[in-house]
Amino acid sequence: MSLAPLLRKIFFVDLLKGMRVTFKYQNPKEICTEQYPLERPVIAERYRGLHRLNSDPDTGNTLCIACDLCALACPEKLIAVASVRDEVTKKKKMTTWSVDLSRCMFCGLCEDACPTDALEMSQDYEFALYSRDGFVLNREQLEKGSEPTVYQR
Amino acid sequence: MLDQLTSFTNQPLTPGAAGNYVWATIYILLIVAGVSLIIMFMNWAERKALAHMQIRLGPMRVGPHGLLQPIADAVKLLTKEDIIPDGADKLVFWLAPCLIVVTAWTTLIVLPFGPKHAVTDMNIGILFMLGVASLSVLGIVMAGWASNSNYPLLGSLRSSAQMISYEVAMGLAIVSAILMTSLNAGGVGTLSMIGIVQAQAEQGTWFIFKLFPLGLIAFGVFAIAMVAETNRAPFDLPEAESELVAGFHTEYSGFRWSLFMLAEYSAMIAVSGIAVTLWLGGWMRPFASIKGPNIWLGGLWHGPAVDFVSSLLPALSFFFLAIVALIGGIKMPDIKPLQVQRIGLIAFAGALGTIGLVLLIPPIRDAVQPIFWFMLKVGIFMYLYIWYRATFPRYRFDQLMKVGWKVLLPVSLGVLIVTAVVGVLVK
Repeated sequence: MSLAPLLRKIFFVDLLKGMRVTFKYQNPKEICTEQYPLERPVIAERYRGLHRLNSDPDTGNTLCIACDLCALACPEKLIAVASVRDEVTKKKKMTTWSVDLSRCMFCGLCEDACPTDALEMSQDYEFALYSRDGFVLNREQLEKGSEPTVYQR
Repeated sequence: MLDQLTSFTNQPLTPGAAGNYVWATIYILLIVAGVSLIIMFMNWAERKALAHMQIRLGPMRVGPHGLLQPIADAVKLLTKEDIIPDGADKLVFWLAPCLIVVTAWTTLIVLPFGPKHAVTDMNIGILFMLGVASLSVLGIVMAGWASNSNYPLLGSLRSSAQMISYEVAMGLAIVSAILMTSLNAGGVGTLSMIGIVQAQAEQGTWFIFKLFPLGLIAFGVFAIAMVAETNRAPFDLPEAESELVAGFHTEYSGFRWSLFMLAEYSAMIAVSGIAVTLWLGGWMRPFASIKGPNIWLGGLWHGPAVDFVSSLLPALSFFFLAIVALIGGIKMPDIKPLQVQRIGLIAFAGALGTIGLVLLIPPIRDAVQPIFWFMLKVGIFMYLYIWYRATFPRYRFDQLMKVGWKVLLPVSLGVLIVTAVVGVLVK
């Protein structure tokens, strides 16, 4: 063994270097743990979370034109859209809209297919359930969005 | 009876050496209670410091900054089901944790917290300590054998090999420190723990700086061997989580398991106490021989200036802790659920500040001085243990044996011989 590595070994230089690193990390500013229910993470705009059906902010009517494109785009055939023809305006009117989240992979193809921005993947991520029954979401739930329980203690 | 009680406080002896059994019992109770309390707090401090070194938060939920976590842990451990495996040897399984705790606590009786603060002062103090401390390996082997399971057996085998091989280097390092006690006019050394510190006071230097660098090397060997002795990272092979589940205490649960933890931490305190007593001047403050000019501050103080500053340090350190707790309480986020915790933390700061004020009362201030310095030095060793654990990866078993037999043993033997030769030459 040559001299320099031997001296480095005798004086524990590598060990001291390691100890310096761990000592520095003790600074409370370095901590990146987030106390989740108390403080919430900032979710990126492009995150694909729970589906949301948008309404026209002025009139309050849904933006969905019941074109069925989202249902056709879905690779797993999870979306079901029902509609009736309005007698007066002769336009299709969406009556029910449901998505089965239990098999949804959040690929976002339905969102891309929507021509009116009525369907959007929101940034909500808290929709864990205790039973499988609640995984098929209907129109009311999707228009309202998820309501996470507020953490008290 | 009353005379006997009060007369002891004027004697310069430890209660055991003075034959005062009442005070000896009081000291034993104080040490057992104090060490248990320190271990409970140490548990919190270790989790917290380890977490911060790994950029985590550590316990935060039970009490402000997890301060009440040790209590929650204790309640959980004591109420847990106490399982004895079917194929276990019941008697030995029961005996092993008891033996380990008894040995770990027995070593503490000769540990001097001050010039007269030890249960007893034996003339073979350090030998007694080493002898009893090495009995703990028996408890570990018993635990591993009695569990009738693979991992505990492997863990205890490793442990016995490790502790026996590191004891040799440790003992030789200790002998070289004991040799240094005889470097006085009379040429007579001592094995008594209190005598060793007094020898350092007489020679005017801590043994870590004596015959530089011999004392430092011996201390270094001991500092490595003591981590291996107490089965702590990076030498925690007997309880390596990733290889042996939990090593020798895999089959233990509840109260018995907590006895193992208690023994591990009190062994850490005892071994750090040996290191502090032998090399770092025990209860003496740093630069104990430097007194500074005499100053006179009214009725407050009449004597050396450095002594005055050092007598204020225990109170100041408590004030510092109180201010840290107060800042933590004030800076807590202003959310409703955290209000109770904020009040608790500020009350805790108040309690710490009150202790600091009590430590300013002159008789208490002087009495607490040696205990404070001893505890501070042991505390630094405890922090080092945590620091090692956060930094170093675990040794492989053959590397461990190689370091023990091929590096530490020759080094400590060499230091011993050189110390003996130089000691004779210096005189």
